[in-house]
Amino acid sequence: MNPTVNSTTAARLDALRGGQPPVNHTARTLVGLSANPGCSRRALLDACGADKGKVARQAGYPWPFGQSPFALSRGNAFERQVKEHGGARLLALLRESLGLPIEQVAYIPLESVGDNANRELRYRRTRQVLAHAARGGSSPGILYDHPMLRLAVGGQLVYLEPDVIAFKIGDKFHVVEIKSFPVIDRQADGTQVAAATRQAAVYVIALRELFADAGLDPDLVAASIFLVTPKNFGNTPIATLIDARKQIAMMTTQLARMDRIETLVKLLPAQVSFDLAVDAAGVARRPQAQLAGDLRQVPARYRPECLDHCELAGLCRAEARQDDSLDVYGPGVADVLGGIGTAQTALALAEGQRIPSADQTDVARALRHAERLRTELAAGAELAGGAA
Amino acid sequence: MSTLLALARIRAARQGRAEPLRQVRHYHLVDEPLVLVTAAMAGEAAAPLACMVGTDRHRPVLLTVSQPRNRDQQQAFYAQLAAVVLPYIRRRENALQQLPTHTGKAARQRCADAPQLIVANRATVEHLRLVGRSLRFQGSREPGTTQAPVALLGRWLTFFTEQADYPGSCLLLPMTRQLAAHWASGQSALEDESLAALLAWIEPPSGLSGAEAALRTENPVEFPPAGPATDPTFDLVELEPRMRAHRHALAAGDHTSANRSAAKLERALDAQLRPTWNQLWSALALLRAIPPAARCARRWDDDRDQFTRHSLHLMHGGPPQPVHDHPVEAARRLAALERASHMFEDEQALDDPFVLAERRAAGAAFAGIVISREPDRQARSPKGRRVLRPRFTVRTDDPPPLTRDQDLLNPHRPRATARIHQITHEQSGTHLIIMEITSGMGTPSRPAADAVPELGERVCYTASPSQWAQPEFPSRDQTPWTHSHPVPPAPARDLDPHDADPA
Amino acid sequence: MGQLRQALRTAMVERDAARASGLRRELRHAETLWQDKAAALGQGEGAVLTAAGPPAVDRAVTALLPTREQVHQVLSLLEVAAAPKLITAVHGAFFPGELPASRLASMRRDEERSYRSAPNARPYYVCPALTADRLAPARALLTVSTWPLERRIVGAHSPRVDFLTATTKIATAIEWFDRRGPHWLADARARADRLLRSFAVSIPGALAPPELSGHAPPLDPRQVAEAAEAELAVHVAVDRAEREQAAAWARQRLPETERLFGTRLQMIRNDASSH
Repeated sequence: MNPTVNSTTAARLDALRGGQPPVNHTARTLVGLSANPGCSRRALLDACGADKGKVARQAGYPWPFGQSPFALSRGNAFERQVKEHGGARLLALLRESLGLPIEQVAYIPLESVGDNANRELRYRRTRQVLAHAARGGSSPGILYDHPMLRLAVGGQLVYLEPDVIAFKIGDKFHVVEIKSFPVIDRQADGTQVAAATRQAAVYVIALRELFADAGLDPDLVAASIFLVTPKNFGNTPIATLIDARKQIAMMTTQLARMDRIETLVKLLPAQVSFDLAVDAAGVARRPQAQLAGDLRQVPARYRPECLDHCELAGLCRAEARQDDSLDVYGPGVADVLGGIGTAQTALALAEGQRIPSADQTDVARALRHAERLRTELAAGAELAGGAA
Repeated sequence: MSTLLALARIRAARQGRAEPLRQVRHYHLVDEPLVLVTAAMAGEAAAPLACMVGTDRHRPVLLTVSQPRNRDQQQAFYAQLAAVVLPYIRRRENALQQLPTHTGKAARQRCADAPQLIVANRATVEHLRLVGRSLRFQGSREPGTTQAPVALLGRWLTFFTEQADYPGSCLLLPMTRQLAAHWASGQSALEDESLAALLAWIEPPSGLSGAEAALRTENPVEFPPAGPATDPTFDLVELEPRMRAHRHALAAGDHTSANRSAAKLERALDAQLRPTWNQLWSALALLRAIPPAARCARRWDDDRDQFTRHSLHLMHGGPPQPVHDHPVEAARRLAALERASHMFEDEQALDDPFVLAERRAAGAAFAGIVISREPDRQARSPKGRRVLRPRFTVRTDDPPPLTRDQDLLNPHRPRATARIHQITHEQSGTHLIIMEITSGMGTPSRPAADAVPELGERVCYTASPSQWAQPEFPSRDQTPWTHSHPVPPAPARDLDPHDADPA
Repeated sequence: MGQLRQALRTAMVERDAARASGLRRELRHAETLWQDKAAALGQGEGAVLTAAGPPAVDRAVTALLPTREQVHQVLSLLEVAAAPKLITAVHGAFFPGELPASRLASMRRDEERSYRSAPNARPYYVCPALTADRLAPARALLTVSTWPLERRIVGAHSPRVDFLTATTKIATAIEWFDRRGPHWLADARARADRLLRSFAVSIPGALAPPELSGHAPPLDPRQVAEAAEAELAVHVAVDRAEREQAAAWARQRLPETERLFGTRLQMIRNDASSH
């Protein structure tokens, strides 16, 4: 992956934000990119590091996203429990499920370099320590707590601060993802497992870049990840080995797409900006309508699922409604009416007031049939159909 | 989704109001359902926060937990819930009906009525499933002891949530599914999972369109979520400070203060659950206003059979539902699910012209006019006997049906089944379908009078539900070794008591 | 106040950070006022005052020992570097009074300040553990100044070694208390058991295999201690070498203050690693 983006593109991306500092990407936000890969609006706002939540709010469509304090504290407590005492619980899990030899217990905290928590410094330290181990450092089988990884995303260097532990067994490094959602009777919520696996996949990619960066074989990083979760209804951790090859491939493609953001930027009218600057009184310098108008210059691809994972969803849904788009009704409707863009067209075709284009012939026939059925129903003549 | 349904959603959005999808109600509603609204602690597998429960809209029972992570409080909460739910069930267990011997079935008993639980959404069903799982093995290790009410509650909740998987079953109804089955909103299926939003589309307040009204319900301060998840800002602003105050007061041994904060907590939770409680009753009223479908009663008979069976299983000291099904049991369940799904769809089509129309739009049924008939046509059976096999031809505008090799039924002549013999396409875009009657036609000497439709008659054919027979499965001891567990799962071992950390 | 809460939630839902923080301030203010009023009315005065603090009953006992003494007591039992959470847990199991982890937060800084103003005026200081690679203060680990430097330094294998050592110490303490020591305080035995069990689950052979009934196996402190010692034997040599090497280096290069409280400089030892 080529981390460098054309400098004019980079400058344009910076300018798009106005004076606002860029939002930090995390594995979670990177995973968010893969949720709706066809959406240019999201891709562009993410690439330029705009705060989508604030942008949406200032454009008049705040979208509530939040995590309960209870969920947060539970997550932290579980992670602490798994990792405390030099990862004692984690070691027990790895011994049990991977046959980790008993000698291998070394634990290296990487959350700070001395008292210095500078991200680049921490990244270099992580790289130094991991490369040393990869080159056959004296004691294999080591837990690395809070490594700092780095990834080039859309021309920006993104630091990833995983709350995970990478460990080394034999000559392979693995990523451990600790999540506090329960696995009950060996089953967990599929959506949550998928999200966790994608997150871990981002770490695998970043870890591979780190090795490539240090002149080592990226394949030293295993494509399977360890998911550590509470078992059943309590706090006992259990580990599950998950094959993440598919997610790694998917996220790699996704991240590569971010590097092709140049094309998007080139298509952008010159005056477009997502500047959120406020005056002394805290009032936005740019009128709401102007910001909303600029956002509309970047095509979105609204799907109802966006409501669950994109802060722009409220805005895009309102826009889709306004545009009479079939997307607001969800994939079921969009699939069945394939080839038709708006509700207006669908109704006109159903009522026979519009001549279908060649690729709409089949849908149009189905729509006219459905409309006839509807009329029959309305007339109460439920059985009168058929040959007219 | 059928084109008809897609069109209904578009129409709903156009007219600013949900579009009715059904002419009759396909779910049985008992006179006295037990309504449950639940709230659970965020971040925990199944820690209860509160529950509003009851059979009387005006007198709900509110149960709350002030320290949801505390096992003792959880236990106390479930004991209280059991004290509401179990008597409700027991009253229905006790009234039995005697069923006479029926074709192939011995005389047996069936409960005259069954309990019916009404909850807000699918998420609540899933929550109750977990609660059932977490409770049902409690105290099951000492054989011979009486079941603790909490464990019994767990076993019943497991029963209800398992039944909810069967299409057409009415023992546990998630309200959003009910409403979405009977009305098309002008939004997506994902948004239909919100009870408040769906109701907003069905009955928008005057002056508002469905879309506007639904948008309003997205403000969690004005419209608390229907559970079991609570709004994060509620957790942060209302719940967490009060729980903390309560905890501190208890630690300080200050009971006055603890009681006060507990009361405040209860009020806050009441305010969170009550809107949903009221919505559920409004939704019930909406559903009751739709006349019930004819075949509702048959499905309710099935439900009552299931209820009776489980009740007897409990009475005879049967074990709790296992964590994982035995393979034969799993295959049986899968077949039963499939059968219930087919039956439900087919029966609805016979009961409801709206459903029939949907099936026609999807090519699963067709309607047309009889243009020729051979009521006396005879054929040789495989054994060489002469049998009556009337045929007739229907011309239809509907897309060519996909239902070959299936028994079809005309809702207006339900005694005879027919099959498609041949379909020919006509220049005009219509189709000619030659049908052959396969049962209910009588014999050459005594033909049934109403089996063959008349010339010029408008007919409609859809799949017959009776063809979904229950498949046979080997009994447990006859299962080949390839399909049996190497070690039978011992549920008790799966529930490690030390999974549970005291809070 | 209910309205304030409502308004605060609305601001949060609308993601209006400025309004939310203003409302939060107002809410806090209103709560204080309300509490004052309640106090003035003579309702629940005690409640308001005690709600925030530790239980009143234990105050007398707690007051007997300063926090640093309590921590010293615990560390002397464990004989290894320990994090506040462990110190609190061990204290709760074996010693009277309360030792909330929150009180340990500022301790490191206070101790260092006290030492710097009058070096060695006290018989001991509670100091941070030092990392073997940089001799910098290790995050959240506390030790006692009178311990040999080797024990205060932590290398890559030390977390495991210290964990196993702590396990044996806790197991031994339980046995000792059981046999002839002071009587257990209310619930303390259960707390100690829980603590030891939470350690034992991570040590091979420390617990009997689970019983078929699904009940947790009984906990035998002797067995736990022996299992911990058995694993300890595997790691102790490599760990000691790491610690000794770092300690020797520190003795040569570092002044006493830094040998106690760690170096803040970005110094990197030549082999720069702990493996």
